[in-house]
Amino acid sequence: MAKGVRIAGVWKVFPPNVVALKDISVEIRPGEFFVILGPSGSGKTTLLRIIAGLEIPTRGSVAIGDREVVNVEKGVFVEPRDRNVGMVFQNWALYPHMTAYDNIAFPLRLKRMPEEEIKKRVTEVAEALGIAELLDRKPGHMSGGQQQRVAVARALVKQPDVLLLDEPFSNLDARIRVTAREFVKELQKKLGITTILVTHDQADAFAVGDRIMVLRRGETQQIGVPEELYSSPANVFIANFIGDPPTNIYKLPTSHRLVKSLGIPQGVEEGYGELYIGIRPDEAAALKPGDEGHLEGRVVLVEYVGSRRYAKVDVGDGVSLKVLLECDANTGDPVRVRVQKVHVFAPSGERLATLTY
Amino acid sequence: MRRALRSGRPGLIGSPFKILVLNVVAWAVGVLWITPFIGIFMTSIRPFREVVLHGWWSPVPFTPTLKNYVDALFNPMFSLSRGIINSFIIAVPSTLIPVGIAALTAYGFARFSLPVKRYLFVTILFLMAVPQQMMIIPIFFLLKDLHLLNTYLGLILVHSSWGIPWITFFLKNYFSLLPVELEEAARVDGATDFQVFRKVVLPLALPGLISASVLQFAWVWNDFFFALMLIFDPDKMVVTQMLPRLKGQYQVDWGLLSSGSVIAMLAPLLIYALFNRYYMRGFRGWAMKG
Ligand SMILES: Nc1ncnc2c1ncn2[C@@H]1O[C@H](COP(=O)(O)OP(=O)(O)O)[C@@H](O)[C@H]1O
Ligand SMILES: [Mg+2]
Repeated sequence: MAKGVRIAGVWKVFPPNVVALKDISVEIRPGEFFVILGPSGSGKTTLLRIIAGLEIPTRGSVAIGDREVVNVEKGVFVEPRDRNVGMVFQNWALYPHMTAYDNIAFPLRLKRMPEEEIKKRVTEVAEALGIAELLDRKPGHMSGGQQQRVAVARALVKQPDVLLLDEPFSNLDARIRVTAREFVKELQKKLGITTILVTHDQADAFAVGDRIMVLRRGETQQIGVPEELYSSPANVFIANFIGDPPTNIYKLPTSHRLVKSLGIPQGVEEGYGELYIGIRPDEAAALKPGDEGHLEGRVVLVEYVGSRRYAKVDVGDGVSLKVLLECDANTGDPVRVRVQKVHVFAPSGERLATLTY
Repeated sequence: MRRALRSGRPGLIGSPFKILVLNVVAWAVGVLWITPFIGIFMTSIRPFREVVLHGWWSPVPFTPTLKNYVDALFNPMFSLSRGIINSFIIAVPSTLIPVGIAALTAYGFARFSLPVKRYLFVTILFLMAVPQQMMIIPIFFLLKDLHLLNTYLGLILVHSSWGIPWITFFLKNYFSLLPVELEEAARVDGATDFQVFRKVVLPLALPGLISASVLQFAWVWNDFFFALMLIFDPDKMVVTQMLPRLKGQYQVDWGLLSSGSVIAMLAPLLIYALFNRYYMRGFRGWAMKG
């Protein structure tokens, strides 16, 4: 039976005064694939280590299932070895002096399980992960992808309540990365094990996550399913951080021509002198000059991404937008830009409205 | 790291002239070092008459013989073989005990926090600098009060405690260089602190442990001073104490003395040759970070 993880009011301050986590609270459901996404230095690893018990929070509590594993206020702390979590470290942390078999058997030997039972369990998990032929090799004689699988096997072999993965794909080549993502996702669904994955790469997060929590400088920015983060970003940071190619974001005075031509309702801009305007490249199009649209502009750059074409369009006043190119204009040609969706943010960053045309 | 070093080499040596100078200097130093050893060796394998009449360097006449060795080993008065056995009895535990204890201490210093850790460590550094001659009188009386004078155990205890500070210092540096994630992985995998130490840290630190052991063994084996002050029973004397006694009473038998020196040198040389690979790795790991 999978167990959930409840994180409540967790703070972490490293001496002298690095605030790595600020009041993090989140409830991770049993069997969920939960992703913690954020730029480097945002506190992701620290949060994962607190769940594993390798770091003690400055304040707050963590519970796995019904059991509190740490509660600073109540003085509760359960040692990592008694938490029954499996962890895959960023560099995999395989024991270099042991073969793959001994690496995977290590957690079971610590439990003094009989060797026959160990052999059965190791073989089982190795076959499930497709590393049965590697078992006599030492980590130094394996590729990155193979080492990763051994590390995952070692984390899974003791049938943990929670699986923790710290940037598991960042040390892999771009090519096997995609396969590795699929593999981890499928495995997680098959085993139904509660999994928490940390990454700085939005593609990783969107590929595997049931839900995603975005962290920035130790603060939760938004928690939601992938579509939510994409279609209703809670603030400018998320709009900027998520989406590829990146969102066009400009901070403009409310009197600006662009703001006017987008027809932002009076109610939204009231009380603000300036606003952030966010337009995703995939939610706007460059059309022929005669077509219906919001803005006039001139193409400054054409770019291919896969089968799609994007144009960077200079719409005057120092503003240029990257949008889908849906006519056969070339660099220098005039176009008309039609916008499908605009996110409007207050100067402090939070989202005020999303307008669809 | 290794590649960086290798590619650094040509820049270090550079021009042919430099190479020549370096070679000349290296060879000169090498010859200066090795000559006395060759002298002792040659003296030990030919009859003493030959050495006195022609000098050890003379190629003719050359009559190789093992007589000196046999005499030295089985001298009825001062048996060198007894000395060698005694040296082993002293040196083996005097290596294993301090390395074992210092490994635990060093791991504590490397990974755990305790209130006065810094001061304790400074104390250890200070202890390393104390000269033997300053300590010998109190040690002598201490052993006397413990009734350990003139016993193997007494000398083993003295060597062990003498070794612990420097081995702690040496191993602390070595442990600090081990990747801490491996220890953390072991803790998550279910290991207690002591299991982490025994199953992960010790195997990974093997080169460092061997380096320390080789050095400590050689140090104990070569020691003359402590043994001279603390052991007086001829049956318990170590090899370094036996050597000067081979001199004889009325005339110095250089052949006997030389063969004795060669025999005494063998043990540390053998140990060094046996563990050379690990020994070098131990220092490499110690000397460079990353
Ligand atoms: N042991 C530590 N001591 C001091 N500061 C730390 C320590 N570990 C992490 N930090 C700091 O905490 C912040 C978050 O780090 P981390 O959790 O590793 O971020 P991420 O994994 O998101 O890159 C960083 O500013 C980092 O410098
Ligand atoms: Mg990290």
